[in-house]
Amino acid sequence: MPLTISISEKAAKKAREFAQKNEHEEFGLRVGVKGGGCSGLTYTLSIDADSRPEDKVIEENGIKLFIDKKSYVFLAGTVLEYSDGLNGKGFVFNNPNAKSVCGCGTSFSV
Amino acid sequence: MTPSTTASILRDAQAKAGAEFDRGEGSLALPAHFGDAAREYHAARQAAALLDHSTFGRLRITGADALDLLNRLSTNKLIDMQPGHGAGTVLTTNKGRIVDLLVVANLGEELLVITSPGTQERVAEWIDLYTFGEDIAVEDVTQSSSLLSVVGPQAADALGEAVAGLERFDSTDVELGGRPLKVIRTDALGIAGYDVVAPAEHAASVWLDLADRGAVPVGDIAAEAVRVEQGVPRYGRELGEDYNPHEAGLLPFISFDKGCYIGQEVVVRLNTYRKVQKRLMGIAFDGEMPDNDALVEADGKQVGFITSAVDSPALGRPLALAYVRTAHAEAGLAVEVRSGSRTTSGVTLELPLSACAD
Repeated sequence: MPLTISISEKAAKKAREFAQKNEHEEFGLRVGVKGGGCSGLTYTLSIDADSRPEDKVIEENGIKLFIDKKSYVFLAGTVLEYSDGLNGKGFVFNNPNAKSVCGCGTSFSV
Repeated sequence: MTPSTTASILRDAQAKAGAEFDRGEGSLALPAHFGDAAREYHAARQAAALLDHSTFGRLRITGADALDLLNRLSTNKLIDMQPGHGAGTVLTTNKGRIVDLLVVANLGEELLVITSPGTQERVAEWIDLYTFGEDIAVEDVTQSSSLLSVVGPQAADALGEAVAGLERFDSTDVELGGRPLKVIRTDALGIAGYDVVAPAEHAASVWLDLADRGAVPVGDIAAEAVRVEQGVPRYGRELGEDYNPHEAGLLPFISFDKGCYIGQEVVVRLNTYRKVQKRLMGIAFDGEMPDNDALVEADGKQVGFITSAVDSPALGRPLALAYVRTAHAEAGLAVEVRSGSRTTSGVTLELPLSACAD
């Protein structure tokens, strides 16, 4: 299992489109987890202008990912992908640490 | 003054009032009785009883995200809770099992969370496990504060006008003997009841003040009798990770429309598909009191097990809380309970008791 977090080309493109639409020029994608959701942890995703001192910063496909240390423990090995189409779910976290996911797929436990 | 000194001063004050601490190992530090358990029971049922509940854990929680995080971790809807209000809520695992039953009171500047006796560290760790970037600070104030409960139909009279009209889990400030106190109505024994929170160094004076105002010091024997008659579950007996909130009768503390929290999917599924395997009910016995953990049988088959047993003054005979399989969980079922080589017969009934004797 690679101990990094990566973002697919399609997900990077969608993130860039979203940021441009919202007039963010310099930005990174903040990726994290928070407590809650049926299974215990849910993913968080937001646009952030700058990284914070404690963040792990990963750059791939032209996108900077900002991840706080505690979230990183639960996300190492995750690939951020994008699922489109009528049934698409938007951004999808493929997380090898997730032992179980809830019915709707937005929360997980490790 | 150190907390242990404070606790011993309170125990000295209780001992002067006749407290007998004779429950030995496993005691919750509540005196067994103050000389007359029957009179103490009567005070709780008919007047006002004073209990030292300082063993219940207390966490002071501050930070802008405190309510939001607790809302995401537990079964009740806490997110809109205004200062002065509160709620009972259940921390559940992702499998819908009970971590603890909490009282969350919004005191304005802070939240006061009352845990079960001895579970405060576990609850603080549980909150920390699920804290990522949130603005929240959790401080264990169990040792630095005291918790005295005044329960019974005249409990409000002992605390004064400030508590009149308080709904369950609401809180208010009360001044007693020149000392400002926080009072939260928790109904901890399943009857009207108020938790009085004070700095630990004032515990003995508050205890004496409340006794002066007519609250009768009550020990564990009388308090347990009221708790079991009212069907109130206790951590380590009826509550813990072996059980889910449906089984333990905690439905009043579950919001079914609040959205996601840890364990929500399982808790809702149990409700929707009626998958609850067992539930708490009462069993009244003809003869001797059964042991805790004794097995309950009906027609030679095991249908449940005892969790707490007391001598019930209201029934005039032994009464137990028991988990009974859903298929058998109806009032009026004749059962037998084995405790070692003894067999006692009894009959199931619904709790709380609808009519209590004087």
